[in-house]
Amino acid sequence: MTLLSIDFERHRLDNGLKVVLAPDRTVPVVATNLWYGVGSRNEPAGKTGFAHLFEHMMFQGSAHVPKNRHFELIERVGGTLNATTWFDRTNYFETVPSHELDLCLWLESDRMGWMLPAMDQEKLDNQRDVVMNEKRQRYDNQPYGDWSERLQHLVYPEDHPYHHTVIGSMEDIEAATLDDVASFFETFYVPNNAVLTVAGDIDPAEALASIERYFGEIPAGAEVPPIPGRTELEHVIGGTVRDTVVSDVPLPRVIMAFRIPPYSSDAFATAEIARALLGMGRASRFYRHLVREQQIAKSVVTYAYPLMTGASMLLVWGTGYPGSDPAELESAMTRELEGLIDARQEEIDRAITLTETDLVRALERVADRADLLSMFDLYFDDPGRLNRELDRLRSVTLEDVRGFVDQQLGPDNRAILTYVPEDGR
Amino acid sequence: MSVLDRSTPPASGSLRDFSFPAVDRKELANGLDLRVARMNRLPMVNVSLFMRASEDALSSDRAGLAVLTADALEGGTKKRSGSELAESLERIGARVSASAGWEGTTVGISCLADRLPEAFAIMAEAVREPSFPEGEVRRALDQQLATIRQRQMDPGALATDSARAAYFAPDVPYVRAVDGTVASIEAMSRDTLRGYVEANYRPEGGGLVVVGDVEVDEVAEMVMTHFGDWTGSPSHVADFEVEPATTFRRVILVHRPGAVQSEVRIGHVGTSRSTPDYYPLSIANMVLGGMFTSRLNLNLREENGFTYGVRSRFTFRSSPGPFQISTAVGNDVTAPAVREAMSELTKMAEAGPTEDEVSAARDYAAGVFGLQLETSGQVATRVNQLLIYGLADDHYDRYRDDVRAVTADAAKAAAATHMRPMEAQIVVVGDAEVIGQPLEELALAPVQVVGAD
Repeated sequence: MTLLSIDFERHRLDNGLKVVLAPDRTVPVVATNLWYGVGSRNEPAGKTGFAHLFEHMMFQGSAHVPKNRHFELIERVGGTLNATTWFDRTNYFETVPSHELDLCLWLESDRMGWMLPAMDQEKLDNQRDVVMNEKRQRYDNQPYGDWSERLQHLVYPEDHPYHHTVIGSMEDIEAATLDDVASFFETFYVPNNAVLTVAGDIDPAEALASIERYFGEIPAGAEVPPIPGRTELEHVIGGTVRDTVVSDVPLPRVIMAFRIPPYSSDAFATAEIARALLGMGRASRFYRHLVREQQIAKSVVTYAYPLMTGASMLLVWGTGYPGSDPAELESAMTRELEGLIDARQEEIDRAITLTETDLVRALERVADRADLLSMFDLYFDDPGRLNRELDRLRSVTLEDVRGFVDQQLGPDNRAILTYVPEDGR
Repeated sequence: MSVLDRSTPPASGSLRDFSFPAVDRKELANGLDLRVARMNRLPMVNVSLFMRASEDALSSDRAGLAVLTADALEGGTKKRSGSELAESLERIGARVSASAGWEGTTVGISCLADRLPEAFAIMAEAVREPSFPEGEVRRALDQQLATIRQRQMDPGALATDSARAAYFAPDVPYVRAVDGTVASIEAMSRDTLRGYVEANYRPEGGGLVVVGDVEVDEVAEMVMTHFGDWTGSPSHVADFEVEPATTFRRVILVHRPGAVQSEVRIGHVGTSRSTPDYYPLSIANMVLGGMFTSRLNLNLREENGFTYGVRSRFTFRSSPGPFQISTAVGNDVTAPAVREAMSELTKMAEAGPTEDEVSAARDYAAGVFGLQLETSGQVATRVNQLLIYGLADDHYDRYRDDVRAVTADAAKAAAATHMRPMEAQIVVVGDAEVIGQPLEELALAPVQVVGAD
């Protein structure tokens, strides 16, 4: 199929910054997107949540950009912007009318090269408060809000970098200092640890010249230090581990997770297919059997985490109805997982067809294209992988799926987190 | 090479002009309003069929019926079971969705253009020949009841639901959640849904919007094949005037013991989409709380660190929807955050935005408009707005000029008319033991403490 063919070119500046340019002149929009190779996996004990707090500090100004100015300038031209932090990386992005590309390059280069002169205690105190409120709003004050933390504790040992959450602990966030900001910046926010993608309405030669102008004089940093803790990990947990929580939740919920080979492995495609057969779309097994026919689950979710370090994770969850028994829900989910041994080729075909449309839809916006190109370059040194995504999935065979059920979904590899409403309703 | 001067932002390049995609419009014999916009960046197409089968036309004992009916459409047709329906769509990579709200019911398709004829036929079958099997209806009903329960225990949703009840008079449809109440949902059955479709899934007053890599004639032919003999208008018609619950300021504290944060909503009845103040009011609201660099966000987040974020919004509907400020704040700063939010609201209502703020908001609104026309889905959403609110065909062609024409005086006048701090309903969901006294001390109004059920 040629549907997915995103044109791009790659460059590398002398300071090590990787650059991907993906021109598309059909709309007057340009997206800039920077992925830094740093995330919560790089945080040592006692510094959990710091990569994310640092992301907030990146919006507090830099040598030539006063506080709030970054937002003001982008909004003033009708642009949008944000950033996110995850286990393996942190990304920063802007989408603007294409004649404002240089503004984005100026802002991004200023904070990559000259962030520290603008840092002070007041800004750090302010953003620590903001982040602590973010943690309360999104996790602590939410029903089921601690699910990810509990699940990570079950799936990953204490010395593995995925044992702790991206948001981190209140104590660690509270303890962050300006020295931490400076050393984190100097260690990880170096051009040789980043990918810059510019996608949309550009002339590639002009865009490259601008990128050279703004980023070229930022000096390369040292090589990024190794990830702390144990990064090699068996691809099975070694048993069935459980955590049952009786709390103030409206409905029972069973969350099961399995270690799987990392995103970087060839075997990961099988996990993606398996998860699609289980829960992608309304003809999938979980939806059809558990939601529609047995009506034992109100809703289901399946997700294969694309994680790079040691082992990744496949997640399936089912939410029950008021008064329903989570043990029955769990048995029904387990039956579906084991039943996948009978997977049929037509299910795989359907999953790939659906993925194809979803992928084309995901590439409609230049911002989303840029994000995927940055990811594939940072993770695999290969942005062109974007154009081969479907081939990767098409190579998965029924034999692979059966092997996956056998090796990854059995009782020797299950983490089961159960939420039970405390009033027994 | 000369040294780069980093001290000032770079100059803009030359602006590339662009226009809203041309929309071809055809009024079909059965009253269906067909609008087709050609976009061929990618081989995608987005279809949405809009019918005026709306929640705002339902009495309170039938609240949630339009939503439930739309959700249950996936249950199957006279020719296919629910699972067969899902399989036939997913086999061709099509996503079909149905949802209902205050203005009506929308059934949408998103698929590759070469799959449209098949997907369109299946969508038509689902709309015109739903079978509502007993088991599927039961499931949709149980799911909706469980969702209502989930909302009651989610602090943010609980705050929004409580605030709405504080804004609108009891007989205004907008006072309730759009998906109904436990009592109204429990009373529904398969027959209720069948009767609802028969009476309300009708073409008049609705329309079909198609955006993507397709030809107009091709679409018109599909419509004639599948909807040519479809006629009539919805029998339930909205008939109400929006009245506020009160014009006195109130502070309502919904007690949630042990909460580690407070969800705050401050608002009152706003205005309708047809208000002549639409643009100046939108600009005034952007300055108050509609952008990252809004007064509220700079104050509550960037200066004081009270919150992860705060925003304000007018929900424009056919009739006046709510105006509301929303945020979530730490327990110890709940009262100061409410004080600051009220102070910003009062300042905006009394003095309006400055010339510079209006200019920044205008630039943002006019610029971001062009950024949101990249996908067939984004364009379809815009064209649907024309249909739903009866806006002029050239509305989007004029949009940027109309936004840029807003003056500071006009924004100030709109804020003074439509933002009324003296009538604000201040609703807080949090631990009354911790935040009750400090809220009382703000002396905005007596604090009424209510249980969370």
